[in-house]
Amino acid sequence: MDHPDFFLLAIVWMVLWGAVGGVWIRRAYFARDLDVTAARDVGVAIGAATGPFGLVPLYLKTPKLTRGWRMLPWAGVALVFLAAFAVSDPDNACVSSGSFVASQIANGLIMGTIYGLMALGLALIFSIIGVVSFSHGEFYMIGGMIVYYMTSVWLPEAGPIVAVIVACLATFAIGAAFERMFLTPIYAGKVERPNEYAILVTFGLAFFLQYLVQALSGANPVKAKPFFELPHSEFPTGGAILSTSRSNITLFDTISISTPRLTAAILSVVMLMALIWFLYRTWIGKALRATAQDRQAAAVAGINPGLMNMIAFGLGCMLAGLAGAVLVQAFSWLPQTGAIPALRAFVIIVLGGLGSLPGAFIGGIILGLVEAAGAGCVPDPTRAAAYLPAYGMIILTLVLLLKPQGLFGRKQ
Amino acid sequence: MKKTMMLTVSAFALWVGSTQAQAAVQCPVKLGATVPLSAPGSVTGGEAMRDAIQIAEADINQAGGLLGCPVQVVVADDEGLPERGRAVMERLITQDRVVAVGGGYHSSVGIANMEVADAAGVPVVYAETWNDDITAKGLRHVFRIAPLSSEVARIFADFAATVPGVKKVVLVAENTDYGLPASEQTKAGLDKSNIASVTFTVDIGTQDFSGIIERIKAEKPDMIIQLLTGEASYNFTQQSAEAGIGPGKLPTTCDQAALESGAFWKNVPDGNLCFVNAVGLPRALYNDKTKAFVKAYTTKTGKSAAESYAMEGYDSIMLLAQAIKDAGSTDGNAIVQSLEKIKYSGVLGDISFPYNSTNPPAAAGKEPKFWHQFPKPAVTMVQYQLAGQLAADAPVVFPPEFKTGTPTWPHQ
Repeated sequence: MDHPDFFLLAIVWMVLWGAVGGVWIRRAYFARDLDVTAARDVGVAIGAATGPFGLVPLYLKTPKLTRGWRMLPWAGVALVFLAAFAVSDPDNACVSSGSFVASQIANGLIMGTIYGLMALGLALIFSIIGVVSFSHGEFYMIGGMIVYYMTSVWLPEAGPIVAVIVACLATFAIGAAFERMFLTPIYAGKVERPNEYAILVTFGLAFFLQYLVQALSGANPVKAKPFFELPHSEFPTGGAILSTSRSNITLFDTISISTPRLTAAILSVVMLMALIWFLYRTWIGKALRATAQDRQAAAVAGINPGLMNMIAFGLGCMLAGLAGAVLVQAFSWLPQTGAIPALRAFVIIVLGGLGSLPGAFIGGIILGLVEAAGAGCVPDPTRAAAYLPAYGMIILTLVLLLKPQGLFGRKQ
Repeated sequence: MKKTMMLTVSAFALWVGSTQAQAAVQCPVKLGATVPLSAPGSVTGGEAMRDAIQIAEADINQAGGLLGCPVQVVVADDEGLPERGRAVMERLITQDRVVAVGGGYHSSVGIANMEVADAAGVPVVYAETWNDDITAKGLRHVFRIAPLSSEVARIFADFAATVPGVKKVVLVAENTDYGLPASEQTKAGLDKSNIASVTFTVDIGTQDFSGIIERIKAEKPDMIIQLLTGEASYNFTQQSAEAGIGPGKLPTTCDQAALESGAFWKNVPDGNLCFVNAVGLPRALYNDKTKAFVKAYTTKTGKSAAESYAMEGYDSIMLLAQAIKDAGSTDGNAIVQSLEKIKYSGVLGDISFPYNSTNPPAAAGKEPKFWHQFPKPAVTMVQYQLAGQLAADAPVVFPPEFKTGTPTWPHQ
């Protein structure tokens, strides 16, 4: 970074004026007996983006804080941050190379889609049962393990799609069986501290599954074959628009995407659309959503909440299993593989809003983009990738500070 | 008559002394070994080392054991984690009551547990921990047959200098006690040859390298040197190949775990032309012990060749066995004295520790890191030149004294 002092000053300036704005604008709205719901957030954003130049007019005029007021200043904050970064480090590839930025965005979107799929399962479970499943990562791992064994050991001729379907069915079955055996005491009021019980019992399941797989499969990493390979081709000749090799696609001679990731992302999107169709077009889906909104009212309407709990937990586990099933072709797979993705899923559901399904998916994409930006743009290459898990934690901290209910969460 | 009496008395005294010494030895004689058998450690390396150590145990017992007792080697899983390595060393010494310890794979683990063993007076012969500090600390009970990290770095830098047209090298290092010093030492070596370098650091368990790979592409390197262990190296090699900068496009060094060719080709199908850093005698220079070990090892494991760390694991135990035999005792100090004088001919070649308490490194004009260090382990670069090639058939391409083939440069 050429001018780190300037960048540091810009950040300090934004944080200070953001803090001043948060306090000052809320007071102004409160003093004039106006709606203060969004005043603090808007004050923070206007302060951080414009400093006193935006805060003074806002303080004097106190306009009605419409949706536009709530959203646009945050875009301003992002723009000011990016401008400060560009001025401080003009030689950074994120500033000087459009193709590099496009590649990183493509990477972030692809990984974010898969993160989103996994977090969606966690959000589904939380929104319906109210349980945070600490065994989510293990279902991700099991999904991948099943696909590996199906495609490489047991039934290589069956093909990857069959293996993915088997992984989905198996993770759904394990999740549903677990819910029936261990979570029903929560609804029946048989446990004194249901929240703590749920945490402990899902933690127990996580350890059990991890060590069971280690005992059965060994601790040695496994690697599944890519689901399909591409022929070498160029369009037009020279590959200016599209070129493919065995396991890679290059667009416009700029954006490089590996086929295992692309397959994983496409399958994730297809599955997401199927899930949306299931939730909005089928009776069970509508019943699940009704249970998520109001359990008692749903029960009065003839929906069996116990059955919905089982389906929700099974579906949530299945989504985690599916994420693992499609990603096993990209990474080495171990019994401990689920730990980091599970951590990401927790960050994502807090970012998107606990229990919000769209929030989980969009949160996943945001995290994917932030991780790609961190790995690509942090000036010090010895830290850029080493801090990868920290980027999610930074987001988590900021969300908890600025918007504890998450992007799409409802205030209690 | 008087002379005969004296001889008889002396012989009796010697017999009593020897039986007393033998009586002091607890049967079986227990040796310890720490290896990574779970993630995030290099399970591939750990399992290979464990298999080799079991062969060593069988060989010792087949030859009559030690001091009239059978030998039992207690293998403990350190998971590649420093805190775990420290705990298992304490357990080996206090609960299993081992008299000496061999094995050791990750430098971070060695750094963490060497002082535990030294404080307890239990000799350790590290097999595969490269960090210079392990011997540079000058601990009385710590020995090493693995190469020094700085020496391997010198080989990397010298090799890079022989690659035609190399002006810029990217180093991808894990942020551990192996990767960080190794990257600094390699960079220093490259600087001497006027080769520019950029270091990227990642966590030991990193699976997704996509962001970093795009960044490496943006650096436009002429060569990539990996200072990663186990699965991280496999993942990086495969993902960089998918992104078009793998070993088939740029001269790239891969991790030693690749020396087991079956696992390598399974994990990195696009890994052709990878340069693999190897420790130990090249195949052409195998002695009878090496040949016998390789035969036993390949029979036991079904692999095509024996990896460096398997040979080192075997020798670390056999070396301790010889030291105990020479000392005629399992006392820690006696074993250390014996190790300092040892002339051992093993599968790695002739091993000795010339810089010791009677010939300290300072007095010999050597740096402190040579204390209790096997000074001349053979370190070579081999290259997989054909897809699917067996490790045993891959030629040694560097350094010149061990060369058995000419390197194929992918960028030419």
